[in-house]
Amino acid sequence: MAELADRVGEVIEASTTGFVAQCYELYQSPPLGSLVKTRDLPVELYGIVYNATTTSLEPGRRPIARGKDEASEEEIYRSSPQLLKLLRSEFSTLVVGHKDDDKLYHYLPPKPARIHGFVYLCPPEEVKEFSQSFDFLNILINAHLPVSLDELIAASLRQMCQAYEDRHSFLVAAGKELAILLSGDFNQLKAILGRIKG
Amino acid sequence: MSLDLTKVASQVGGMVASLKAGTDEREKRLNYALDVLRDKSIDLDLLKKKITASKGKTTWLVADLVDGLDQHYKAPPNPEEFTVLATDGSNIDVDRHKSTRCYLINIGAAILHYGACPSAALDSFPSLYSGDEDMVIMPVGVRGREQPIEGALLGIKRGVDECHRLAELAAELPQGSSSLALLDGSLILWGLEAYPEFVTEALLTQGFLSYLDDIRKLNSDKRLALASYISFSRSTDVVNVLRLALCPHDPADCDRYCPTNEKRDCDAVAGVRDRELFVNILGQGERSAIFISQSSIVRNRYGEHRVYFFYLKLDDEIARVEIPQWVATDESRLNLVHTLVLDQCQRGQGYPVALSEAHEQAVVTGADRENFWQLVESSLVDEHLPSLSSAKSQSKRTRWV
Repeated sequence: MAELADRVGEVIEASTTGFVAQCYELYQSPPLGSLVKTRDLPVELYGIVYNATTTSLEPGRRPIARGKDEASEEEIYRSSPQLLKLLRSEFSTLVVGHKDDDKLYHYLPPKPARIHGFVYLCPPEEVKEFSQSFDFLNILINAHLPVSLDELIAASLRQMCQAYEDRHSFLVAAGKELAILLSGDFNQLKAILGRIKG
Repeated sequence: MSLDLTKVASQVGGMVASLKAGTDEREKRLNYALDVLRDKSIDLDLLKKKITASKGKTTWLVADLVDGLDQHYKAPPNPEEFTVLATDGSNIDVDRHKSTRCYLINIGAAILHYGACPSAALDSFPSLYSGDEDMVIMPVGVRGREQPIEGALLGIKRGVDECHRLAELAAELPQGSSSLALLDGSLILWGLEAYPEFVTEALLTQGFLSYLDDIRKLNSDKRLALASYISFSRSTDVVNVLRLALCPHDPADCDRYCPTNEKRDCDAVAGVRDRELFVNILGQGERSAIFISQSSIVRNRYGEHRVYFFYLKLDDEIARVEIPQWVATDESRLNLVHTLVLDQCQRGQGYPVALSEAHEQAVVTGADRENFWQLVESSLVDEHLPSLSSAKSQSKRTRWV
């Protein structure tokens, strides 16, 4: 059962292939490549964080430079405490699988996430369970995202390997899977492997 | 078809040309007004007596003097810990072209705490009014007379609601704190002069002034000042003091001595605004002397909340700050208003941050209005209630050639 402490945000935009969540605390987005989940019971949707932004709460109000006469960056927030209420951090995830009736599937769920669904950072044991199969890599490789797929795939594997005691073996196994999936694109394979080398 | 700017352009040109032509004359009047203001030979006690004697006899509103005319005061230092709270409002007026008679008032609020543990709370409080008793103001115990709340009167009610919310928020301030409660615009509900007595009784005496009273009473266990902030004020109350000083008659009596439009001595400073005077008198961050508003509604109604005001020099403008008597006559609270309004403007690029954030919370955009009416109409349809709107309203929505 996911704990309150693992709750990192709330879904504010959802589609079949991904969801966007707003963080509860400014700048507290999970790291790039993290495995997160949200629920639409009985289904749990898994997503990988591929992008994070911090912007003004209202599109028409852009932040302005404020620190010219301040001694430190913290001082800017101290002298304008309302800033924390006027900015928001969001992160976008790519849905990479789901769990239904305690069974894991490494492909898209039948329905998108629910708006206002809580988003939790998956604990290590759940990351381990999810990454027993590398089928999710296929979704990542075929995704069309505004960030480099090489970066995202490497970041997700770096994040996942932290759940394992033997990180090296996990990464080698992932590398072998990638070698099969990217057999026709040596350059991409090389770029990813170069980014997960410990 | 949108506005044809090419047809307007020449008219704008004419307007600018006539403004330019009057520049020298305005400059001359301003300089003369400044000379009178700085004139040490004016006996302030005599002038005060003349102001009192001329009360109600001039065609222009004359401020009452407290501590002089051209005094200026530097702002005391900020307290270490302080809170600034502000409210502002916005509304959706009754639309007679819609099937439902209702209006909405949205009050935005900002509470900003500065000091060792800075914090902020921003919120909005929308209220929908549609009940029969909400739509009109009626005199107590008398049937048949009623004043519909819409248009300008809704604007006044909104101002009263802003003050109500401010009093509620101020009540939650901790004991021993130093705080400033800020309203936007004037403390003087000018618009009420156009309405019957029972409207003034309901909105001013039972409303606005009772909430000011609530705020005043909170001072028993904390230091709490109240002020309203007017940006780019067009007031001439202080210039009119100079007019009175220039008037050869004592007491002045415009109707008696100057019944026609012939040139009067006091016209030498006509057209000058208070802010133009004080931009030349005050140093950066300084406030002017305090003055008392002599408007009849204040004199007759406000009691201990009688409105005093001063001008404050900011980076780019002169602001008018209005305060009730219980703030003006207490040096500690007066200083708190001066310091914190200045501090707020410095933090907010020239306009108090708390007011600006309260406004942002309150604002109802054109799109919000559309969405609101759509929500009302779709809710009526859901309940199988008739949702008719006027043909005029329909024709504005569906445009065709």
